[in-house]
Order: sequence, then C-alpha cells, then structure tokens
Amino acid sequence: MTNSYDALVDLLVHRFDVDPAKITPEATFEDLDIDSLFMVELLLVVQAELGVEIPDEAATPRDTIAKAAELIGAQLAASAS
Amino acid sequence: MLAGLGSALPDRVVTNEELTALTDSSDEWIRTRTGIRQRHFAVEGTATSDLAVAAGQCALKSSGQGGADAVLVATTTPDRPCPATAPLVASRLGLSGAAAFDVGAVCTGFIYALAVAAGLIAARSADRVLVIGADTFSSILNPRDRTTFAVFGDGAGAALLRAGEPDEPGALNTFDLGSDGEGRDLITVRAGGSQQRLAATVSDPDDQYFTMAGREVFRHAVQRMERSVRAALETAGWQHTDVDRLVCHQANQRILDRLADLLGIDPRRVVSNIALVGNTAAASIPLALHQAHGDGSLRAGHRVLLTAFGGGLTWGSVTLTWPRLAALDGSTSGPSPEN
Repeated sequence: MTNSYDALVDLLVHRFDVDPAKITPEATFEDLDIDSLFMVELLLVVQAELGVEIPDEAATPRDTIAKAAELIGAQLAASAS
Repeated sequence: MLAGLGSALPDRVVTNEELTALTDSSDEWIRTRTGIRQRHFAVEGTATSDLAVAAGQCALKSSGQGGADAVLVATTTPDRPCPATAPLVASRLGLSGAAAFDVGAVCTGFIYALAVAAGLIAARSADRVLVIGADTFSSILNPRDRTTFAVFGDGAGAALLRAGEPDEPGALNTFDLGSDGEGRDLITVRAGGSQQRLAATVSDPDDQYFTMAGREVFRHAVQRMERSVRAALETAGWQHTDVDRLVCHQANQRILDRLADLLGIDPRRVVSNIALVGNTAAASIPLALHQAHGDGSLRAGHRVLLTAFGGGLTWGSVTLTWPRLAALDGSTSGPSPEN
C-alpha cells in the first residue's frame, strides 16, 4: 500500500479511535460507523497533519479508504511538484 | 481587568426528548453530533434584556463594589431592532447615565465586547465596564430545522472589567480579532433588515428564521479558532502547553474536541458546559466561565485562553491569568429573570 494509505489509516486509528480491524482499502467510510460531521473532521486533521487541503465536496462517506488515500496522494504529489 | 462574573438562565429546561417530539431527531442524534443533553428556553414574555439584567446584577455584586460607567450588551437577539438593548439594561441595573450600546458579532460578540471594554478603559473613557453576552435564540429558531433547533439555547453571562495594571492577574492581554464577510450566508437571518425588508408577505417564510450551514460552519469554526488561538498565544508569549484552561465558544462539543486535538491541548483542560445549556451564542463564554469558576475548575493563577467563532464570519481570542475573584454563589442562575 502507498504512504498516503498508511498515513490515513494511522490518523483513523489514532485520532478517530477507529477499530483497525474494520479498516481495509475497500471499506467505505460509511462502513466505519461514521456520521456526516466525520468527513469534515477527517479533512481538517488531514490538512493539519499531512498539509494537503481537500475541499469538502471532494470526499464523501461513500468513498473507499483507498480512494481517499489516492486523493491525498495526488494532492501531496501536486504540492511537491 | 476582570473583577466580577455573573450569569443567568431562564427557568425552563428543554431536554432532547422533549425536542424529539417537535423535530425529526432523537436524543442520540443530538448527543452524538453536538454533545448537548438539554438547553434552557425563555418563555414568551421573557426578553434578552431580562436575562442580561439578571446576569449583570450578579456580576456587579460579585465585583464587590457596585457601579459601572459603561454597559455593553453583545447580542444577536435584541429586545427590539431599534433601539439597542444596553441602555434599558443599564437603567434597570440602576446605572442610568452610563454609556450603553450593543455589540453585534453573533457568537464572537462577547470577545469583541471585551475588547471594546478594554479599549474604553485604556482610553480612560471608563473605569468600570459591565460586559454582558445575552441571547434568546429560541426567538429566531425555525422549529422545523433540527440542525439549529437542537443546538441553541437561551442565556446570559456578564463580566465586570475595571482599570488595573497590565501585569495584574485578571488583566486581558492583546486580543486577536478578525472577520470574513464573504461567509455571511453561512450563519444568517436573511429577512428583516434593509436588504430584505419585512413585508406583509415574505418571499420565503423560512427567511425570517436563523439558518446555519452546519458542515461548512464546523470547518470554519475549527480552522478560524485554531489560527486565532495560535495568534493570541504568540502575542502573549505562551506555548500551547502553558494553557491551563481553554474556554471556547460552546458551539458544539465536537468542535471543542477537534480544536483541542489540533492545538495539542489536553482535553481535560477544556472547559465545557454545552451538555447542560447548548449553544447560547454571545452568552456562552461568560456562562462557561461563571460555571467553571463556581465549581472550582477555574482557579486563581490559571492561564486562561478564551476563543470564539461566529456569524459574520467573525472570530477572536484573548489570554489572561485568572484573578482571585470574590466567592461566587456557584449557581449559574442569578435572580430569577422571569420575574
């Protein structure tokens, strides 16, 4: 798995107390028993910790964790270039 | 510097269960998203000034020696669109002749009013200023909108500021204040002002009510308060680990939790009373301060950081070292505001 996937999993487990057993690349955020505010909180923490700004509308609870990691990875690559 | 504190809540307590009967929400929905278990609603006939007077009396009494040269009321729900609420509050407190005006910065109103009061004192226009945050949001909430109806409550809190030395405990350090008018639609009452005048028929009846864009407001609230707190810490020369008590505008427990998380401040140092009173807008910080002082969680010598975010958009923060204040009655109720 990519660095951005590992970083995202780390945030989910350590900052949001998500059970690591529930996290797989194919799992959606909805599968993690989250609510509508969760995505806002997650993007705030991603921005603070990983330095990438992702607009609210770019990620939804129906996205898989792999897809969100891909989005973060693309933003990281864009900001590095 | 801070020399007195007071607060007042209307008698009527409204639990989540009671609200559930009115809106399509549940106790669990409200608690998990906001941390709120109950709030107080003023009964019809109780105005913002009634709550403000009760909180103001309490703060004047706790300051030991009555009187104030100026009375500031931070509110979004004045008794009337015109005139301001503060002159009536001053008169009812026996302070006729004092300078009195309202401050409008929605949920940041109390912080802005504190800054104005500190300025009046610094300019020697006043020696003692009574700063009151008072709101009766139940008067502007849409009962069909659970995202606001379940969140807000009514109340008032007050602080008495007096002239003092900058290095005394209770002295307010340099404020960080800011605004962004581009965000005015995120927290608003659309009708009733000069832009959309009150008419016999309003194009959309819901425009008369308060509205809030929940998720966007959540993001702005956390980001703006985080930056403002960092700015206030820098001007005070404090590290985040120096903060003994973080007192945020009680907007939503999850905003308080996330803000503390991003700032690296121990959640046990975050003052919270939102479970019992909800979001009381301009009243929230002085209400939280009064309660925390009363129950001993805020003690003399504590380094305290106040921060707020509200409609406008507006935000602001200030630091102070908590002073030794006269023993307070501990209760957040002043003289019953409904008499």
